[in-house]
Amino acid sequence: MTSDDHLLLARAAAGDAAALEALMTRYSGRVFRLAYGITRNQADAEEIVQDVFLQLTLKGGGFEGRAAVGSWIYRVTANAALNKRRGKWRELETSLDDVLPTFKADGHRDGARAFLVADWSRRPDEELLSGEARRTLDAALERLPEHYRAVLVLRDVEELSNEEVAEIVGDTVPAVKTRLHRARMALREILTRRLGPGA
Amino acid sequence: MTLTCRDVIGILDDYVDGGLAGEELAALERHLDGCEPCRAYLATYRRTRVLGARAGRVEMPEEMRARLRAFLRERLG
Repeated sequence: MTSDDHLLLARAAAGDAAALEALMTRYSGRVFRLAYGITRNQADAEEIVQDVFLQLTLKGGGFEGRAAVGSWIYRVTANAALNKRRGKWRELETSLDDVLPTFKADGHRDGARAFLVADWSRRPDEELLSGEARRTLDAALERLPEHYRAVLVLRDVEELSNEEVAEIVGDTVPAVKTRLHRARMALREILTRRLGPGA
Repeated sequence: MTLTCRDVIGILDDYVDGGLAGEELAALERHLDGCEPCRAYLATYRRTRVLGARAGRVEMPEEMRARLRAFLRERLG
């Protein structure tokens, strides 16, 4: 936490609108991205953003010495989003086993060769991030369990390290790496089924 | 060291994130040289990572920001 953050928090807690605005400018985007990335629901994300900012400003200057506002915010947001998701739409979050690669006994990939060599990676962003491809990507993200989405957002969107993510979600580095890899593989598989041969 | 497709896909995250070195890295690259399915897998895995990141860079709607501002002003007096 920087002394600048300390000052802003103390002033915001005392009702200084400019300090509050500065804090919002600095942190609200990342809180929203993470909250929405985990819940995939705007109304839930908005509630979380309000709650996290209320906690932040009420905490004011009460941060312990070296505690960083940035990592505190990620931790509180991730916890709130994961708690909100608990019990919701579970039926949509089925096992990922059928969207992970399968292998033959000798270690080669299993499946039709045309599918295995399908490479849609050179298609332009405009095609992959709009229309049917974008809907497929969004549906694939929604299919991931929330703990996987949390790791995916923190690593690939917020670009934090495995160690930072492990601290935020309260898990081990190997567990974070496993979830991240499985999440990426599941998204890749779902996209390939939509964009590959015969699609 | 010789790697199978299963081995390669199992460590692809480390490869893409720059976490492989030495003989393991060399063995993976040797496998990729001779395996078209794994080259396609790697290319689409990398692209998926970028697409996931771009899709996740959502902006907080301006009206939501305005409601947050009003909410905090009310609660903080």
